Amino acid sequence: MSEPSAVMEASPFGIQSKKLAMWLFIIADAATFGAMLFAYGYLRVANPDWPRPFLFSPTILDSIVMTAVLLVSCVTMVGAVSAARGGQVAAAVRWMWATLLLGVAFTVLHLLEWSSMIGEGWRPGVNPTGGPVQFGASYFSITGLSLGHVIAGVVALVVVARKFARGRLDAGHVETTGLYWQFVTLVWLFVFPLVYLLNAR
Amino acid sequence: MTTPTSSRTVGLQLPVALGLFVITGAEVLITYTHPAVGTLLVALLGLAVIGAVLMLRYFMGMRNERSLLFWSLFPYLIFAMLMLDHIWADAHRVVQLHVPLR
Repeated sequence: MSEPSAVMEASPFGIQSKKLAMWLFIIADAATFGAMLFAYGYLRVANPDWPRPFLFSPTILDSIVMTAVLLVSCVTMVGAVSAARGGQVAAAVRWMWATLLLGVAFTVLHLLEWSSMIGEGWRPGVNPTGGPVQFGASYFSITGLSLGHVIAGVVALVVVARKFARGRLDAGHVETTGLYWQFVTLVWLFVFPLVYLLNAR
Repeated sequence: MTTPTSSRTVGLQLPVALGLFVITGAEVLITYTHPAVGTLLVALLGLAVIGAVLMLRYFMGMRNERSLLFWSLFPYLIFAMLMLDHIWADAHRVVQLHVPLR
């Protein structure tokens, strides 16, 4: 006698389980970023001698360019999801590669900026101007976590684009990856004003 | 990339991306009016939240999902954020008061 199969019912949210899992991850991750940004916000406001090392040119200008790069990558990712849903595999893969290249551009710009900060003597526990050392800790931890997410997104895009092109993944995977990529940009929309603009000279 | 479906969708999303870039420009402008740091923090946070809502609705497709998804996820996130706000404020006050941490 065979066991009765489990009773399956439709998702109350009307979405695939992998997309729901991604939403749950995003909510948890948002809380992580929220904790870091709240802690940073209190430190920043409470320290009257908090350093303001960012000049408009080059740092703020560079971070505006980085914001633009991420916003354009959001649009290309929307194109990838739309093409994947429409069964246009080649177009979806091209849009994903475009997104990926923009992600790489963002990463390179970010690493150049880090390199410049490190060159000026900033470290997670060192303030070369002699003020509060918490600036380096909060700057490198918040931007590092954001950059780590972008790099993870780039790796995910490489894997998904290749497998989707070979028919080993479906449009749902592209959509889930797209959701993650948009979240990465959403995080940057908080990191840019709170970390960069709030410390601009 | 010239397929009609995806190109049309991208065209529809471009104004949203432009709107988000305008918000970024507004943030930069406010910063260089040099307000008090607390005021600047509130203004930047407010604009970032508007940007996040646009991202959620259009790029992340929340406006096309069932409202149950939103109500199952976001009230808890907002609650967690408010609790974080209380916890960090208390932690900061304890440090300022030099209460011995035992």
